[in-house]
Amino acid sequence: MDTVLLTTVHILVAAAVCWLNFITIDMFFKLPEKGGVVGATAIALHIEAGGGSLEGGTMMGNIVSSPDASAGTLLAACGVFIAGIPGGLLAALLVFIGNRICHDRGYAGTTGCLTATFLIYGFTLAGFSAAEFIAGMVIAILSIQGISHVYASRLLSTIWKVRWG
Amino acid sequence: MTPADMALVLCGTVALYAGVRVALEPDTLRKLPFLNVLSFAITGLIALLLPHPLGIVAAAAYFVGSTLESNAIASTYAGGLDRG
Repeated sequence: MDTVLLTTVHILVAAAVCWLNFITIDMFFKLPEKGGVVGATAIALHIEAGGGSLEGGTMMGNIVSSPDASAGTLLAACGVFIAGIPGGLLAALLVFIGNRICHDRGYAGTTGCLTATFLIYGFTLAGFSAAEFIAGMVIAILSIQGISHVYASRLLSTIWKVRWG
Repeated sequence: MTPADMALVLCGTVALYAGVRVALEPDTLRKLPFLNVLSFAITGLIALLLPHPLGIVAAAAYFVGSTLESNAIASTYAGGLDRG
């Protein structure tokens, strides 16, 4: 198959894997429940005022305010791209330190980074490149934070309600 | 074109797009999620352009720094800073 086409397909698969990884872990760590810092709550209120949903907005505010599982997934991809599994583990340590710097007492970022490290390494054994996961994670975060805050926050709220009733 | 080249082009394009969205969004707090996308894309570019063990540290340091800035802007804007 043409290399460009194959890489495009790989990037789309990587984007889906990254999306599922960070949404699952952020939901597990209850990011939509409450804002970790006052700024995260403020972002949620502004998104709600613009027609979005509060729970989804809270999760988006938390993603902005501290390295969460999405940041963990991106840095894991960067780490695995540069140095394989040890690189991913170094990235997890840096995310852990970053969480503490940002007054976040949670472990979503560190956990997301560790799961992503092994997930991405597994995919590299199946012919994927970690660079494709860097691009995939950038597409995944674009879909949540960068296109429509109204629809993204509603989608996240729907997932949150399905998850926790 | 290698996968790393394609990832580079994609990250650069997303960074430009996010930069335009930040500039066009009138609400200060709603600029921050777009700024977050910009940080993701630039972090990806740093790692792709600096394939050296310290590149991981550089990418993480940039990302944590930009997140902390967004955190500070949002919290200050929300009145979280007690000025006495």
